[in-house]
Amino acid sequence: MRVTPGMTADNAVYNLQKERAVLDVLNEQVASGFIVNKPSDDPLTTRQLLDLQNQVSSGDQYLSNITKGSLLLNVTNTALGGMSGLMQQVKKIAGDMASGTTDPQIIANATSNLNQLKSQLIDLGNTSIGNQYVLAGFKNSAPFASNLVALGTTPVVSTRSGDFSGTNDSLSVEITQGSQVATNVSGGSLLRGGTPPAAVGTGATAGIGPVDILGSIDALITAISNNDTTGIADGVKNMKAAGDQIVAAQSDVGGRLVRLANTQTMITNNQNTLKSIYGDKQNVDYAKAGVELSQQTTAFNAALATTAKLTQLSLLDYLT
Amino acid sequence: MGINTLFDIANSAVTAQRLAIEVAGENIANVNTPGYSRQQVVMQNRPVTTSNGFALGTGVEIQAVRRSYDGMLQQQIVDGNSTYQQNLARQSALEQIQPSFNEVATDGLGKALDNFFGAWQDLSTNPAGTAERQALLSRSQVLVDTFSQMSNSLTSVSKVANDNLIGITADVTGNAASLALVNTQILSTQAVGGNPNELLDQRDLLLQKISEKVGITSKLESDGTATVKLAGGETLVSEGKYATLYTNAVTPPTNNILLSGLGYPPPVKNPATDTDVSGTVGGAGNSLGEMGGTLAVRDSIVPGYLNKLNELASKLVTAVNAQQSIGYGIDGPPATTGHNFFNPAGVTSATIALDPALSAAKIAAGLPTATDPIPTSTGNNANALLIAAIQKDSTLAFSTGSDSFAGFYNSMVSTVGIDTQAAQNTTTQGAAFLKQLGTLKSSNSGVSLDEELTNLLKYQQAFQGAAKVITTATTMLDTILGLVR
Repeated sequence: MRVTPGMTADNAVYNLQKERAVLDVLNEQVASGFIVNKPSDDPLTTRQLLDLQNQVSSGDQYLSNITKGSLLLNVTNTALGGMSGLMQQVKKIAGDMASGTTDPQIIANATSNLNQLKSQLIDLGNTSIGNQYVLAGFKNSAPFASNLVALGTTPVVSTRSGDFSGTNDSLSVEITQGSQVATNVSGGSLLRGGTPPAAVGTGATAGIGPVDILGSIDALITAISNNDTTGIADGVKNMKAAGDQIVAAQSDVGGRLVRLANTQTMITNNQNTLKSIYGDKQNVDYAKAGVELSQQTTAFNAALATTAKLTQLSLLDYLT
Repeated sequence: MGINTLFDIANSAVTAQRLAIEVAGENIANVNTPGYSRQQVVMQNRPVTTSNGFALGTGVEIQAVRRSYDGMLQQQIVDGNSTYQQNLARQSALEQIQPSFNEVATDGLGKALDNFFGAWQDLSTNPAGTAERQALLSRSQVLVDTFSQMSNSLTSVSKVANDNLIGITADVTGNAASLALVNTQILSTQAVGGNPNELLDQRDLLLQKISEKVGITSKLESDGTATVKLAGGETLVSEGKYATLYTNAVTPPTNNILLSGLGYPPPVKNPATDTDVSGTVGGAGNSLGEMGGTLAVRDSIVPGYLNKLNELASKLVTAVNAQQSIGYGIDGPPATTGHNFFNPAGVTSATIALDPALSAAKIAAGLPTATDPIPTSTGNNANALLIAAIQKDSTLAFSTGSDSFAGFYNSMVSTVGIDTQAAQNTTTQGAAFLKQLGTLKSSNSGVSLDEELTNLLKYQQAFQGAAKVITTATTMLDTILGLVR
């Protein structure tokens, strides 16, 4: 084959260009730290990388939901803990009064104490974080009413009505795809035994849930004021059941917190795995890239050197 | 037979060698001229006479100045260039489109979609939260803006392609005019018995230039002229006549490609009667020349992506609006329902927008339940959960099958990658093929300086030899004249 200097020049330009392109790709990878910098670098890996990115960002969103859900549940849990303590005191007073008394001072002390404890229960029932009332269901207002009503006793005892105005819905958050956890407890069921409030247990029904806790305390106050030992005995049973009702709600919330914590661990582990797969596919192996870069640089240098040498050769140098 | 014969022989040699040196000089001069084919002199000895008793030639003559040329190779280069330029036009457009879809390196539409649904998730954890509602509104605005930004960048690629057609047609017409002129010169050179070597080189170069722009079939006539037809069979150049290829803007802003009648110069452009070659000028499937590539970008590549983007926008608007409009806001009491989230009139990527009546309070996070009937409470998050769940719904009916929003969009990114990669690969292969053809052509037709310098020496020495013969003959003549004196 006949070879002209023009061919040599064209070939040199073409090959130098090709080597430059390879060097450019290597340089881009090293500089960015990524193997796939554009979809066209590797369309199928791009698809996988995007799916991984989506999964990671879904995981981040679920983790954020779990954090917020945990916050609400922890606040609920604190309120329930407080209520549980208050119920201990209510039960003690009820027990102390079980045999009845006619001493007006003792009666006044007991009723005033119970009234105070009921008031505190209502305050705890109105626990909120930000504008979210944890026992109000879907309502964003204090669920238990604080208006004063008179109980049918002598002397007249004024007490807060504690009427429930919330809803019995659960504010659910999504913690993994398709799986939701309620982040609140229905105040109506917890303190009133349902909406509308359950009937206060008497006789055979005393101590059988669900218990209208606030209503039962009112009934107990009335019974103590009237020295109604049967009513007080019913009250003692009701208060025990009421304590259990709150403990049950506590353990329900505790269970949900455990579920959130478990899911959080699972998602975190999952995120680590996904990120490591992503890294395997996307992160440049610098050692490998460095070796390749060095090889390509050597080849490029050689190409430059030979091109420079060959293009200088001419018969003109030897003609005189 | 006398000394004069000697002068004749030497004279023919001097003339022939001088011509050969001229050819070598021409070759050297055109070493870098594109399309130039090296020329060689073919010498032969002049008729033999037997006037001195035996057969001897009467010197040398130039039989021909031959052009080193391979017609088949030339045709392959013309075809190869046509395909290469088509791929190059597609590649450059796709490389402009790709950055808009480069979700790997930057946050684009995929991230915006993700953030949009993430904001609904956030809202579900605090349905009455002003901050959450405001965040959702601003993320939705970002989503809508990203849609329209992508639509704009795709449309502008299409518009640039449309504008490029004007330059391409002007270039084709210019080269067609030159070719018609070269054809005329070839005819007139041959009419006077000349050898139009250089004109043939120019003819081939012009054919190659035209084929880079549009798909053509060319025929070399026996008289050396080239007849050029467009891919659809319309004549562009015939002997000394050519036709004008030009663009005619019609609505929607699109340039049609028209071809006028033949002539030198051709008849005045008349869009009403000239042939519309828009559908055929790019070859089958717009596969030929820069014209084909540009038309493919304008008519199929960009509209293809745009349709998918519009489909995504339309599905999103429909799905979110359907769920949002049955939900209840916190704009009460009492809370109202039936509000759209996106403007239902905007179902393309260019027109997607938030509903003008939408406000933070009208975002419908609530859905009536048995225990929270109409009007719903401000803390109701049932609808927010349902809208957030649309993100993961993989049963949405897209033209490519059932998929989720993210799945559909990711496939689209991957498709852009595949298309770009394919165009880059074919362009690289085309470049390698053309380079190989170019090497073969150079091997045959290219000028080698070393070779020409050697020839130069060869012919120069022959010239000196012939001159020496003349000197010798002169001396001989002098000697004879001296005898007479």
